Amino acid sequence: MTLRVADLRAAAEQAFARVSRAPGVREVEVFLSANTSLFVRLNYTSHIPCNGVEEPKSMSSYGLGVRAAFDSPAGVTVGFGAEPGRLDPEGAERALEKARRSAVYDPEFVSLPRPTGERRRLRRYHDPALMALSGRQLVAAGWQVIETALEVFAADETVRPADGLIIGGDVTVLQEQVAVISTHLPQVQTDQSALIVSTVTAMVEAQGAKGTGWSAHTRLDAFDGGAGAEAARNALNGRGGIRVPTGRYRVIFGPQPVADLVNNLLAPALSLETFYAAASPFTGQLGRRIAHPDLDVYDDGAARGLVGSKGITCEGLPTGRTWLIRGGRLVGLLANWYEAQRIRLDPHAAGKLGADPTRFARGLVPRNGFRFGRGGGRHFDTPPGVYPTNVVIAGRNPVSRQDLFRLVGDGLYIGRIWYTYPINGLRAGDFTCTVVGDSYVVRNGEIVGAIRPNTVRINDSIHRVLNSILGIGTTARPTLVWAADEVTYAPEIAVDDLRVEEVAGFLEPGR
Amino acid sequence: MAGLAAEVPRRLAALHYADIRLQAVEARGAVAENGSPKAGFEEVTYALGIRVIAGRRLRAPGYYGAYLAEADLPKLTRLVRAGLRAAWDRALASAEQKAAVAERFGPLGRSLQPTELAPIPVVRDTVGPAFRLDPRSVDPEAAVRAVVGASRAAAGASPLLRFNLVAARTGLERQLFASSEGADIDQTFALTEGFVFVVAQSDESAQELYEAIGHQLGWEIIEAGVEDGPLAFPGLEDFAVALAREAAEVSTAPPAPTTEREVVVVTDPDFNALLCHEVVGHPTELDRALKMETAYAGRSWFFRSFEANELGRRVASPLVTCFSDPGLPGFGHYRYDDEGTPGRRVTLIENGIFRGFMNSRQTAAVIGAEPNGHYKASGAAYVPLIRMSNTAFAPGDRDPQTIIGEVDHGYYIVGKRIPSISESRENFRISARKVYEVRNGRLGRLYRNGGITADTKDFLLSIDAVGNDFRLFPIPNCGKGQPMQTKRMGNGGPTLRGRARLTGETR
Repeated sequence: MTLRVADLRAAAEQAFARVSRAPGVREVEVFLSANTSLFVRLNYTSHIPCNGVEEPKSMSSYGLGVRAAFDSPAGVTVGFGAEPGRLDPEGAERALEKARRSAVYDPEFVSLPRPTGERRRLRRYHDPALMALSGRQLVAAGWQVIETALEVFAADETVRPADGLIIGGDVTVLQEQVAVISTHLPQVQTDQSALIVSTVTAMVEAQGAKGTGWSAHTRLDAFDGGAGAEAARNALNGRGGIRVPTGRYRVIFGPQPVADLVNNLLAPALSLETFYAAASPFTGQLGRRIAHPDLDVYDDGAARGLVGSKGITCEGLPTGRTWLIRGGRLVGLLANWYEAQRIRLDPHAAGKLGADPTRFARGLVPRNGFRFGRGGGRHFDTPPGVYPTNVVIAGRNPVSRQDLFRLVGDGLYIGRIWYTYPINGLRAGDFTCTVVGDSYVVRNGEIVGAIRPNTVRINDSIHRVLNSILGIGTTARPTLVWAADEVTYAPEIAVDDLRVEEVAGFLEPGR
Repeated sequence: MAGLAAEVPRRLAALHYADIRLQAVEARGAVAENGSPKAGFEEVTYALGIRVIAGRRLRAPGYYGAYLAEADLPKLTRLVRAGLRAAWDRALASAEQKAAVAERFGPLGRSLQPTELAPIPVVRDTVGPAFRLDPRSVDPEAAVRAVVGASRAAAGASPLLRFNLVAARTGLERQLFASSEGADIDQTFALTEGFVFVVAQSDESAQELYEAIGHQLGWEIIEAGVEDGPLAFPGLEDFAVALAREAAEVSTAPPAPTTEREVVVVTDPDFNALLCHEVVGHPTELDRALKMETAYAGRSWFFRSFEANELGRRVASPLVTCFSDPGLPGFGHYRYDDEGTPGRRVTLIENGIFRGFMNSRQTAAVIGAEPNGHYKASGAAYVPLIRMSNTAFAPGDRDPQTIIGEVDHGYYIVGKRIPSISESRENFRISARKVYEVRNGRLGRLYRNGGITADTKDFLLSIDAVGNDFRLFPIPNCGKGQPMQTKRMGNGGPTLRGRARLTGETR
């Protein structure tokens, strides 16, 4: 079924008209979505029989979700119901009845979203060509990536199929259309967004060399399959990797490790719901310095041209820029409407935040209520959670790449990390991960050789890393990490005194 | 569906194989926080997944997935045919380009081979669910009462509790599978689970812990828990209270030390469930070994190439045997996987020798193995991946108390918490919910934020005692694939004793 955003708009009006008049309904919101996700998984192996393009596939869904507050003898109750495959008023009624049957008295519920006073800034930003991508174009995009990588390998006379050349990864296209209308936002709002991203890993496995390439665009004509070539070049550059001994090092984190730290530590730690649960490593520190004074971090869902931008949230509120860390100080948190309201009722709010929430109202604006899930898309059958959009990392005094290497002198360039988890719980701030590729030894400010993948584990703390920044690069690259919803605009960042440990010695020849 | 699958080779040119998966899920549940209700829910979802292998010069696969609705059921035949055509079109397009790329790149193109599936018996079967309290009969209000009760009990378990979240879900899932080879399988599962997250804060520290209970049974497990052989846990309220007390107790404990050298560690069955999951289960998935997850979940140090691998070699102490068995109860139980292969027990490590992998038909064909039924998706709209069933360390014959009693000085590692594993699973750091010092065979001081780290092979070789206290645990959230699929499975083992470095907090 081909749906246009105009179909969603008309259906939203009719559905809202029907359910808003239903008995006992105090407030109601109708959210409609139609999503298609197109994926091509890549798997080329020169030493093992393979398909090259492994999985050309798609997932599509559409339907509507209803959030409603009901008058009941117990007080105001709140419920959510969804109806897949329906956009009509009868479908909305069925969803409303599910919401009514499952409604609960939530003492922290204030209201459904109301206008925040901000205005929508982003309209007509999607690429119609990307929205109309066909299955055959998808397959061609996957083979394009494989071919650019194979061209790089084929041009290098020093590698052979027996060396175990690997090209893995994907091309992913998200096509999202939504419409939302509610009691307090009674004009239907619609939004269309589409993006094409590719993440590729290449290896010369016999030599333990791994490289990464990636691209992220909002326009189809910007896609050229170059992520494959980039990954293959980086794999070739990673040959001859050496081990580095356990110790403390000055390092430069490349964009991918910065994005990995954002995805697994910083973004969850800077969500208002995490503060409500007293589970953030920055609990009680709103308004205080938590990082090097050079560091700025903000989420911006309304910046034209950024890959993760949306016109409105899945609550019908305008997206926009939320400053999170400014000059090293914690100044704001990611929030949706529910969290932004309930923190004001929380008698323990000042202790959890470290400040009176009314004093920091500008830092707690609900610009991040989204219904992301299933690896992409804005889903009608999920109530809004708190999700970042474009997380932008910037330095107040950015330094050139050459100067970053000069600052490090003798140390490491860490280009890709993996399994970066808050090992002792998010609140503790400790993290660990391993270095899996794209990483190098730095001597006298120059790269002198590759680090062998999977031989280094990092054991450190987000507090220590944020306060040990030596310099922040000038150029931020849109970077995705596996299973992340947000896009991180990540520069290279130099950090002092990182704790690394040499691991997996048993795999060395002779052991 | 069986008719559609059977007719499709006649309708679509150069089609060699097709399978259709249709799924219907009816579920309900509720969420509470700090003793207050937050949400109830009921959902009915349908999903469709199609695989086609087609091509003239070289065969290639194509897939199609969609979420459906009740309103789609009258037009299901048309939708399935459209999905088959979409998947076939992708497969044909990919097959054409595969042949062209193979030709263009000469030696580098030779590994681009036709897609093959290893043969399996063609099965027609129906498998019914097991439950005492039908998930469909659960009143949404009863679900809310259960989670609110458990959440209130957790909140009252300790004055140190700052936050708790309790959730429960129960449902029935019906999966239909039909293939162009004639398979026609109808399986229905009951699935019920509870989840608890708690945050405790003392003057010493804050501790957040989360854990889950679950089984392929009905709502009765939320009320009364489970005693099903190796799978045993209390009802949701008692489970929530126990976790809350544990978080409170650990929050007052001192931080665990980090040791520079290996020490004796005794790991309990709960911790070993996560350990086995990460360092044995994942690297014995054949799709990883064949590099298909290189960009995502990683490869396997058990298999570098056909020439260099660990098959038939010692990778663990002779006391260590590991298996994956869909015949055992719990989240990892099923009779047929998602391509109709009967699930069977696979010995992964036998007395310390590496024996083989969990596989799918496609990966089995690549290495010339027999399919063993471990190809599972998180829903019909997703393409299946090779997944653990019930994957565990096998029991030994030692009394766990004796295993601890023999330790002069070491640490007892209790309860799974958070893992970080290197890409090919050759090294791990896993934290535990509790760490006790062991002195002269007796448990001593309790520590917080402790865990162990080791190179996988070194740790497995160091195991010198295996307990007779085998247990299985539900794992609700294993992520793999692109887009990531979150899958339920079972993991477990008995008490083990080995050597690893103790890890604590970062200072």
